[in-house]
Amino acid sequence: MKLRFWGVRGSFATPGPHYLRYGGNTPAVEIVSDAGQRVLIDLGTGITELGKQLMAGQFGEGRGVLPVLLTHTHLDHIQGLPFFTPLFIRGNSIRILGPELTGAPLTQVLQNQLNGHYSPLYGLENLAAGVEIDTMRPGASLPVEGFEVRAAAMPHGGMMVLALRISADGKSIAFLSDVEYPLSGPTADALALARGADLLVHDAMFSDAEYASRAGWGHSPVSSAIAVAERAGVGRLALFHHSPDSTDAEIDTIVAGARRRTSIPLFAAAEGPAFPI
Amino acid sequence: MGYNRAEMHVTFWGVRGSYPVPGPDTVRYGGHTSCVEVRGEEGGCLILDAGTGLRGLGQKLAAEQGTQAVPAHYHLILSHVHWDHIQGLPFFQPAYMPGTRIAIYALRAAADELQQVIGGITRHEFFPVPLAAVPADFEFHEVTPGKGFVIDDFEVMPVALNHPFGAVGYRIDGDGTSLAYVSDTAPFTGLLHKQHFLAGPEELSDEDRRVLEAMRGDVVGALRGCNTVIYDTQFLPEEFAKFPHWGHSTPDHALDLVDGIGVRRLVLYHHAPSHTDRMMDGIEDTYRLKGHRAGIQVVVARERMTLQIGQVTDPGVGP
Repeated sequence: MKLRFWGVRGSFATPGPHYLRYGGNTPAVEIVSDAGQRVLIDLGTGITELGKQLMAGQFGEGRGVLPVLLTHTHLDHIQGLPFFTPLFIRGNSIRILGPELTGAPLTQVLQNQLNGHYSPLYGLENLAAGVEIDTMRPGASLPVEGFEVRAAAMPHGGMMVLALRISADGKSIAFLSDVEYPLSGPTADALALARGADLLVHDAMFSDAEYASRAGWGHSPVSSAIAVAERAGVGRLALFHHSPDSTDAEIDTIVAGARRRTSIPLFAAAEGPAFPI
Repeated sequence: MGYNRAEMHVTFWGVRGSYPVPGPDTVRYGGHTSCVEVRGEEGGCLILDAGTGLRGLGQKLAAEQGTQAVPAHYHLILSHVHWDHIQGLPFFQPAYMPGTRIAIYALRAAADELQQVIGGITRHEFFPVPLAAVPADFEFHEVTPGKGFVIDDFEVMPVALNHPFGAVGYRIDGDGTSLAYVSDTAPFTGLLHKQHFLAGPEELSDEDRRVLEAMRGDVVGALRGCNTVIYDTQFLPEEFAKFPHWGHSTPDHALDLVDGIGVRRLVLYHHAPSHTDRMMDGIEDTYRLKGHRAGIQVVVARERMTLQIGQVTDPGVGP
């Protein structure tokens, strides 16, 4: 199993010279099994480039099949959807699995995103590809061909998001983005989901110093990511959902500080080539 | 022509169309979506569109506002509400400073619908803070093409454009000079955008032709004698040939429209996400030459670029 980060930035895309090494695209992660099966997590701006590359293969011929797991529908996690080229090719089959944790049906949320006010697409029905939208429930095991996927609800400010555990080829990835734990620390659900994962991708939007003035915003300080990694005994930790105010140099500093505090191997997620789990 | 450094000037905070484009290929021209700051001699400030460029402008304005005793009053003038023109709004820092007033001007059938649309982008599913919980006070103003209005020392005249669901351009007069913002628009021939999805080009009816002709006449009328025109030139001609129904123009369409009506400078704006810095250099070379032949200075918009509107910067082109 391999993973590729296409977007690692939280909240807001960051073009410009100070964001080139880690990348400025909002969340988008591609996971491919050894058998070549593919699943995406989230539809931030990072998927626009992935979409172009997928067009060189089956998706360009209208024979592509793609499951997408949505953690939640805040804009930075869905803003790439209207610009994902495989959606405009008849014959492609795209299945979006996401939560309904705000009370609004997922289909309706995505329809609102594409309504005529906001988008020249005027609605999901105008996407040429077949788009199927399903709800995934916390605790449920999800039917994604080639992978074993489990979801759990995590607190994100005033709402909930879904965290994921994705397994294939004898390896496991735990994905916990846009999470903020209570003062008592990581929840039992978070630890259970991350338990023994080979790779933990965790929200680390803020340094601990920054977090002091941003508690309640729904994101984690670096220390929360380290706490989950240590207590769940993961193999490696990827710090994810970087603040739009963190330049490459500042992320370097955050990583160096984090490495001094734990023996778990860790790195900051960066746009770049796929790597094996 | 002399000029006063304080007279009307614009700063580009976002120049890209469709979606923001980070990465090494957009470093020089910029990857943020539509947002332009207009400043006048007396300090008046208009903000044209609220794309992702608005975040950077908001950080600057919040820092300025922090040093002033009077609460700030901002005027955000929207061409339309496609995502690339409003996405920065929830990240506009002054909105989170109590006492700030934000007036939003847009083309919508009813002001309460406008409020719903703007409120819609801060729905719980899209953004953690609902509009009602944002500390700033918001006012919503409906804009009607052909009906001018005054903000500070600026006279603003809206004019209808040819874009899916409807968009509006603005001519802005102030400090004895003039500026027009024409984004987003398709050319005024071949296809009339309405309020339904277009999978491809659609046949024009006689009525459509009449509407397009009148629309073009109104745009030309609004731009006549205008010092500087900022124009949606998302596509190169070969790209436009593939996507004529996407609601955008080429630099050739823009030059054709402003030729012979006393426009001094054309700013190419709303660049396609696929246009790398290197491609933009080529576009600049090609169209600077074409503009020169027509007596029009052509400038390619870059993020953080400031242009003095009254100033003649190209000695080869007369006022």
